[in-house]
Amino acid sequence: MSTGDSGGLRAIAAFLGTCWKINLASALEYRLSFALLAGMMFINNFIWLFFWNLFFSRFPIVQGWELRDVMLMWAIGAGGFGWVNLLFGNFTRIATIVSTGELDLYLAQPKPVLLHVLASRMSITAAGDFVFGLVIFAWVGERTLLGALAFALGLLLAGLLFLGVMLHVGCLAFFIGNSEGIAQQALGSFVSLSTYPSSIFKGAARAMLFSLIPAGFISYLPIGLLKHFDPWFVTAAIAATALIGGSGIALFRFGLKRYASGNLIAARS
Amino acid sequence: MEALRARGLTKAFRVKRKDQGLGGSLRSWLRPEWEEKIAVANIDLDVGRGETVAFLGPNGAGKSTTIKMLTGILHPSSGEATVVGFTPWRERAKLAYRIGTVFGQKSQLWYHLPPLDTFELIGRIYEMKRDDYAKRREDLIERFELGPYLRTPVRKLSLGERMRCEIAASLLHRPELLFLDEPTIGLDVVVKQRIRELIRERNRSEETTVFLTSHDAGDVEELCSRVLVIHHGGLLLDEPVERIKRDVLSRKTITITLAAEVSPEELPCVQGTENVAVAGRQVRLEVDLRRAGVEEVLSGFIGRFGIEDLTVEDPPMEEIIKHIYGER
Repeated sequence: MSTGDSGGLRAIAAFLGTCWKINLASALEYRLSFALLAGMMFINNFIWLFFWNLFFSRFPIVQGWELRDVMLMWAIGAGGFGWVNLLFGNFTRIATIVSTGELDLYLAQPKPVLLHVLASRMSITAAGDFVFGLVIFAWVGERTLLGALAFALGLLLAGLLFLGVMLHVGCLAFFIGNSEGIAQQALGSFVSLSTYPSSIFKGAARAMLFSLIPAGFISYLPIGLLKHFDPWFVTAAIAATALIGGSGIALFRFGLKRYASGNLIAARS
Repeated sequence: MEALRARGLTKAFRVKRKDQGLGGSLRSWLRPEWEEKIAVANIDLDVGRGETVAFLGPNGAGKSTTIKMLTGILHPSSGEATVVGFTPWRERAKLAYRIGTVFGQKSQLWYHLPPLDTFELIGRIYEMKRDDYAKRREDLIERFELGPYLRTPVRKLSLGERMRCEIAASLLHRPELLFLDEPTIGLDVVVKQRIRELIRERNRSEETTVFLTSHDAGDVEELCSRVLVIHHGGLLLDEPVERIKRDVLSRKTITITLAAEVSPEELPCVQGTENVAVAGRQVRLEVDLRRAGVEEVLSGFIGRFGIEDLTVEDPPMEEIIKHIYGER
């Protein structure tokens, strides 16, 4: 007999562990595809760095940013996006899952719906993003215990910010129906904005990056967390992450009450 | 003891009204018009523990919406329900430990992995103790004869094999109440029969309450003791299957392919057969089982004609429902 009332953190951990094991097994079903997709993403990120390298060879310092800072910004952005996409790979698909009625399967099972949805997919390309982040940090980062811990905190915050923002955008599907297009556009814009030095934006654009579109909390991490530790910025980044995550969860729960299901034929992959 | 009770359960959706064509789309985009569609209207349901109930209705009648409200997937617009003691939409997680669901069109098996991996995950989802999980899994593998498919990726299984795995997966945590939404959709006769046997066996051995929707009269006839018919969102009929069998399922359609062409005049005249149609070598006729048995009809053909092929079918569900509507 199942133990409906026990559960707790151990049960959730066992469930997540099995979910991730199964996701990985599913991704490894197609060996060549796995290697190609992960490898291509790794190379794609490197090409961006190559362009930044060309840029900084002409303008060595831009608003206080050097090539190393931009490389670490990419390491944090790609690495953060990578781990969250590896472990919670459905975070970019919430709008699709809601608007096509795929949520039914998760709602029919007893685990927390949002966690179950998020952990039920692993993005293969994300492995390339994550490894890219680690490689860049090993290359230009501060290779000390403190440096590694700060980088790990940066990855954690960046990943959770990506997750929180996409959760908000994905939840739009509960209220406006088909919002898959908006979600894809929002993801693209947010990723782009988080990979440009935040110091190049001024005035309203800068205010936006630290409020409505909080990509600035990711792109400024190489400076405010890694280069010159700024306790105010780090506290603000942690608070923003908690606020965005918390409000995203609340929005999802509220949205579930308006969920309208659907009749699309679906399979878990 | 009641497994399920619903009172005044209602679900209304807000649906956008749009005229046909591009013009309609533009007008709807500029000035959207909404209308309220009542998917389920004020229905009352009572299902006892251990009962097997068929929940029937034509497409769009509100069957799936009702099941989704009873499993906590959808919140009703109004009304109350308790399922194995829980209010589905308020105590969804607690309820989920006690019920099982099989949606014929939504697979809970991981498409690229063997069923064994999904079983493992389901064991974790329902927090089954490891030894209990292993024992239960082995029991279901044996009962459902899943041995040969366990290590084959789901995408390579036939629909029938997949559905057996789906039902076994939904039974792993020993649900008290099993919701089956079109479990035999798209399956061939032999597989349908096997799946019915397996569900029936679970109902008998573990007293699992079964709440089933189907378009297949055979599912209803062989599995269920009671029939609930829903139409336009409202409950139209609640009768024992025996009565439906007597009044509606008393007709079978027999299709016989003969070895040579035959004219209608040459056919045997058996009392109780109606609507006889001959097309080349194929003879199609309806039998009223209250007046003649299938065997009796066939005996008129065997010996007189060479028979190449033969099928005996129940009337389609739509016809049964139409008959019921006609009576009301």
